[in-house]
Amino acid sequence: MSLATLVGRYAGLLLLACVPLGLTWNDPYWVNILAYAYLFAALACAWNIIGGFGGQFSLGHGVFFAIGAYSVARLYLDLGMTPWLAVFPAAALATLVALLISWPTFRLRGPFFAIATMAINEACFALANYTDHLTGGPRGILIPFRAGFWNMIFIERWKYALLTFGFMSIVVLITALLRRSRLGHYLLAVREDEDSARSAGVDVLRVKLLGMALSAALTGIGGGIFAMYVRVLDPPTLFALPDIGVKFALISLIGGIGTIMGPVVGALLIVPVENFLRGTLGGAIPGGHLIVLGIILVCAALFLKRGIVGEFTGAVRRIRNRKRS
Amino acid sequence: MTGTPFLSVENAVRRFKGLIAVDTVSFEIERGEILSMIGPNGAGKTTMFNLITGQLSLSDGAIAFRGEQISNLPPHVRAQRGMGRTFQIAKPLIGLTTRENVMVGAFLRHHRFAGAYDCASEVLAEVGLEARAEIPAGELTLSERRRLEIARALALSPELILLDEVMAGLNATEVTEVIDLIQRLNGQGMTFLVIEHNLKVVRAVSRRVIVLDHGVKIAEGTASEVLSDPTVVKAYLGKRAQ
Repeated sequence: MSLATLVGRYAGLLLLACVPLGLTWNDPYWVNILAYAYLFAALACAWNIIGGFGGQFSLGHGVFFAIGAYSVARLYLDLGMTPWLAVFPAAALATLVALLISWPTFRLRGPFFAIATMAINEACFALANYTDHLTGGPRGILIPFRAGFWNMIFIERWKYALLTFGFMSIVVLITALLRRSRLGHYLLAVREDEDSARSAGVDVLRVKLLGMALSAALTGIGGGIFAMYVRVLDPPTLFALPDIGVKFALISLIGGIGTIMGPVVGALLIVPVENFLRGTLGGAIPGGHLIVLGIILVCAALFLKRGIVGEFTGAVRRIRNRKRS
Repeated sequence: MTGTPFLSVENAVRRFKGLIAVDTVSFEIERGEILSMIGPNGAGKTTMFNLITGQLSLSDGAIAFRGEQISNLPPHVRAQRGMGRTFQIAKPLIGLTTRENVMVGAFLRHHRFAGAYDCASEVLAEVGLEARAEIPAGELTLSERRRLEIARALALSPELILLDEVMAGLNATEVTEVIDLIQRLNGQGMTFLVIEHNLKVVRAVSRRVIVLDHGVKIAEGTASEVLSDPTVVKAYLGKRAQ
């Protein structure tokens, strides 16, 4: 496939993902959900770079997300830097921390790596509670509402949705280009078999670190955008595993881990369903929406092993093969 | 032999706790030759392979490749220096297509997509897998997986290829095809180190053979010399067979 067809194909798919926004752009309830869905699609795509392509099942991406959010908030509040620029130093800091964390933990394989990154997430959660001067401690940071383009704060909700949609589009295109690049192929090789990758000249640790760096940088930018959207940053909002660290992985798993559009499909499905369940069940049975969500996740794990996109492309290929033979 | 040897293994030793898997083995390979390594199961052949390619480190001794010491280099650097290998148990990247498997190797010398893609196409045609290029490698048959192993090694454009029992499980026709392939590549100047149980193959491809038994090199010479050596026969068939 040539580069032009590739970009064209994903531009088309993204246009499709834009349709719900076009239908509901003046309904604040749905636009809010879509803004979240696009943002989490982007974040899951970013996680998918190292978690899906690289096969390193990180549950610690909440750390990079939180670093992005806190950095943008601090740079905006203390130095008056516009969030449009502040996301870049935030991404750099998230990358640096990611490399420091990954260097030792990449010695661990499979579930041990997942557990270690989860533990780091929890340690940083505790740390954020104690560093009042940076994070505002348990009370958190409040970003005052001063609408304006350069403040990345808008009165109209659809502008946020457009912003997160734009971010998602960029992340999807980066992933699509990565997938056919040298680094992309090396990440997949590392996921499949490290020994085999080494004998093909792949520096396994370096490839994992590069994948993690890219993933963490994009996650940090996503955290910064999140900060300017919610404008209330406290540790539970940024570090809670079921809402952040684990959710990136779950969205990718349901949509199709290691596929390019999987995380987008997963987020567009899970985020609205979760909101709907919280709205309808949350009042009657406290935590009821989590039970239903849990059942959906178990069913997906049992019957959709390759995720929605993975199963779909597999089915398309089988039908094509049958026609050919 | 003139000048420095292409690959030289000097007094290589590898211990696993109490077991000595490779015990002070030395041999050399000349550029452009096909050297076979034979020996009964557990003789240390695959361990020797892993020592040469760097998957295992030496307990003692030294290995030099093209005149340079490589004993302390990690496997990916040895691959970059021009070594390609296959694994005894084929290790295709099953989640990737056949072409992508080969492209992973091709990216070593071709940093851009188009170059790696074209290189993969050439290599796949060479081993006769071009028709299977776009299917997941997990769906290949055993003989196709063996050919994919060779293709992945070839994609590295190596100067030395180490083949670990690539004939195992192939039928007679397929064996002939792979022999042809090895001879064709050798004709283009590629050097081979081959582990092989099939003695017909050993006779067909190699001028020189070394024999390992219990980690020790017990014989070295031409195929017919070695195969009629009484110690070799003893190692393979046991003492009473004499």
